[in-house]
Amino acid sequence: MSDTTLKLKRTGMPMPLVIVGSALLVLVCLFPFWWMGLSSIKTLRELYTIPPIWWPSLPTLDNYRTVLFESNIPRYFLNSVVISVGSTALALILAIFASYGFARFDFKGKPALQSFVLIGQLLPTAAIIVPLFITLRVLGLVNSYWGLILVYMIITLPLSVWMLTSYFRAIPVELEEAAIIDGASRIGVLFRITLPLSVPGLVSVLVYAFVTTWNEFIFALCFATDSSVKTLPIGLAEFSTEFNTDWGAVMAASMVMTLPIAILFLSMQRLFVGGMTAGATKG
Amino acid sequence: MGSVSIRDVRKSYGSMEILHGVSIDIADGEFVVLVGPSGCGKSTLLRMLAGLEEITGGEIAIDDKVVNALHPKERDIAMVFQSYALYPHMTVAQNMGFSLKLGRAPKEEIGRRVAKAADMLSLTPYLDRYPRQLSGGQRQRVAMGRAMVRDPKVFLFDEPLSNLDAKLRVQMRSEIKQNHQRLKTTTVYVTHDQIEAMTMADRIVVMHDGVVEQIGTPLELYDFPRNLFVAAFIGSPSMNILSGKLSGNSFITADSSAINLPFIPASTNDETVSLGIRPEHFALDPNGMAAEVITVEPTGSETQVAMLLGGHEVVAVFRERITTRPGECLTVKLDPERIHLFDGQSGLRLGQD
Repeated sequence: MSDTTLKLKRTGMPMPLVIVGSALLVLVCLFPFWWMGLSSIKTLRELYTIPPIWWPSLPTLDNYRTVLFESNIPRYFLNSVVISVGSTALALILAIFASYGFARFDFKGKPALQSFVLIGQLLPTAAIIVPLFITLRVLGLVNSYWGLILVYMIITLPLSVWMLTSYFRAIPVELEEAAIIDGASRIGVLFRITLPLSVPGLVSVLVYAFVTTWNEFIFALCFATDSSVKTLPIGLAEFSTEFNTDWGAVMAASMVMTLPIAILFLSMQRLFVGGMTAGATKG
Repeated sequence: MGSVSIRDVRKSYGSMEILHGVSIDIADGEFVVLVGPSGCGKSTLLRMLAGLEEITGGEIAIDDKVVNALHPKERDIAMVFQSYALYPHMTVAQNMGFSLKLGRAPKEEIGRRVAKAADMLSLTPYLDRYPRQLSGGQRQRVAMGRAMVRDPKVFLFDEPLSNLDAKLRVQMRSEIKQNHQRLKTTTVYVTHDQIEAMTMADRIVVMHDGVVEQIGTPLELYDFPRNLFVAAFIGSPSMNILSGKLSGNSFITADSSAINLPFIPASTNDETVSLGIRPEHFALDPNGMAAEVITVEPTGSETQVAMLLGGHEVVAVFRERITTRPGECLTVKLDPERIHLFDGQSGLRLGQD
């Protein structure tokens, strides 16, 4: 052996290729957002210039002024927040209890019930719009926060239940048995042991439900015709009229709409990591 | 502290009965080990005692109070799981104090009792750590500490050492034993390892296929196994079993060699019987039976020899260092006082009467 220190040879692709590849991927993913941001500070004339201008000569905040002070967007933003937070919270609470039941108890008809939960998810959106509309009208919930909250809960709940069920199943059952021996009730076990250990699962469900409802268009279009309940996606569409589209304003409004999602993801990022149960059992 | 009485307890899953009426009486302060091969129902019985499994039939009483319908927390028991089952999001101190916290004990009392248990288990430096920062042995001790702070009537252990390496297992074994001597809490300990059972137990319950095969002190089981199963299960290397026939006061092996018996059992002459002899009850004797050596395994303190005797492969352990090679012949004698006889059909021990 030579006396020079031997380095372990890296296996797999060479480093420069990995860096170039990752950079390319990030670029492709971020380009639409960058273009959205750029377009939101362009003047109308620059928006339509061909070839496209990569950096506006006179960046302007006019589009934001239009969106924030001369349109319904602020109100729609509030509506979106109320509806998304409401339906996400409702879906999460119901999913926790349903999933815990599916994950931990054996009862008659469990497989059938679990499949039924998914059936709602399988129906095409167009097929359930009319029945849902009739239901909401009978309940007097068309054009109300509650109407959209309930509809959104219905569409996000099935997948949330499935996600959480598999998450709960992965938690060692001995932990819950130990807690029961220590004197905890079932509810106590759920809140003191299972949920604290399921934070990554809960966060995934929360983000999924929130993003889905935040971006939803069709149901909002059909069930909320009054500007007091209309949501942001509808607001974006309203900038397009029969004869022209104010693309600058659309882009500025899109920025406003993207912001909460970006904040949500960035703040929850840390909680996505797994390994919550490390050290619980033999390791 | 409390006594435990298990009366004709049965357990079925659907139409399958896996415990067929088990009765055990455990005195206050006793250390009882349930031992048996996997699938014998010992863990199920322990879980029924803990209240984690429903009792299908029979009665379990702790301190003369029937607990069949009681929730685990009302039974005043504490359990140590095979996988430790420590709460990963709590520190060692929080893990140990969890049951007291649930029982709404005052903070100072929780702190005091946790500190006392931690002191006994030398866990004091680790009280603020999380389970993932501990080694296997430390986690095992935390699991025991969690049980100890509650000062329960009965400790239940479900194979607590099987995840540890061999050296640590021996160390923890004596720690558990010492703790029991200090605390004198009634303990029910489940294991599949008969060495653990022999070394720790006041009394051993040998289970097999959902029934109790024998209950007794370790040496009773070793010296007077009630049937073939117990004879073969207790002891390592296990007892040699030779099947053959009785003729007068000798035992005729499969290849027709005769072994003299110190007594004639009460059964008829030409019934098949099994003769049991433990490995250490062979002795080298120039006038003994011839046996062909198969393998020789010296361990330093003793020599283990597998050999062919009377048509059976048997294992003998000699305290002296013998130099022999595979293929050679040894002449050995069976210690007549230590011969066990079992009925060929029922496997039951044949007595000297």
